[in-house]
Amino acid sequence: MTAGETRQAVSVGFTDACKQPMFHRVLNAQPLTVRDTLTDMRRRFAADVGEDTLGRLELVLAELMNNVAEHAPAAGRRNEARVPVIHLCVVRHKSGLACALTDDGVSLPDDCVLPRSLPPAIPEDLPEGGFGWFLIQDLTQALSYYRRESRNYLAFNIPFETEGKV
Amino acid sequence: MKFIVEDAETHLQIKVTEARIDAAIATPFKDKLREIVMKNRKPVHLDMTAVDFMDSSGLGAMIAVRKSLPANLKMVLCAMTPNVERVFRLTRMDSVFDIRPEAIHKEARE
Repeated sequence: MTAGETRQAVSVGFTDACKQPMFHRVLNAQPLTVRDTLTDMRRRFAADVGEDTLGRLELVLAELMNNVAEHAPAAGRRNEARVPVIHLCVVRHKSGLACALTDDGVSLPDDCVLPRSLPPAIPEDLPEGGFGWFLIQDLTQALSYYRRESRNYLAFNIPFETEGKV
Repeated sequence: MKFIVEDAETHLQIKVTEARIDAAIATPFKDKLREIVMKNRKPVHLDMTAVDFMDSSGLGAMIAVRKSLPANLKMVLCAMTPNVERVFRLTRMDSVFDIRPEAIHKEARE
């Protein structure tokens, strides 16, 4: 934990939870909009969250939101992709950052949220993809997912400290 | 998409000027960088100082460029920032690339 993270952590109780910094945004799932959102989020938490934690949060959110953009559902007769809308909410709490992310894109394949390993690194034919969900799972805690009607719901925590894991 | 390219006789020095290698630019980044390294057929030293953020699509682009080089030509990544280094480390791709902490040594040119 950085000094800022510790100072905040000791002062947090139910009564002052409302003072915790948070970030909320509704955005179109498009790579440049995702980029702007991450820049704004970084600015919001810069004073209260350490650089290492912020870096891990930014990476996880980039992977998740760009996945939604990449797998935008095809719609209509001309097969134009419909741009999904993402709702993102990040709240700082005493041991990390609680994140909720919903979108109205296609549903996630089941294996995304099942434990997974890295794609095999065959020297003559290195994998160029398949890292995203590995990174998401590696950097998050308590990752949960469900789909209700036309929306995906994901919730997880980004811890301040990673117990030597990262 | 801009790269600052210098031919340093034994290798090609390329400075990446993009601050973010993410899904928004991964494909043009890969195409342009691959074009540069294929044309010169030399080991490549990439200066990563200016890159603050990279995601898995950016990593995929770097791997694709690495694969387009023949095995005997090295690709060295210099001066990666912590956020970029994390992606290579967590995916174990730090064992595939030659990663050096220091910035590229600038020789006196005048």
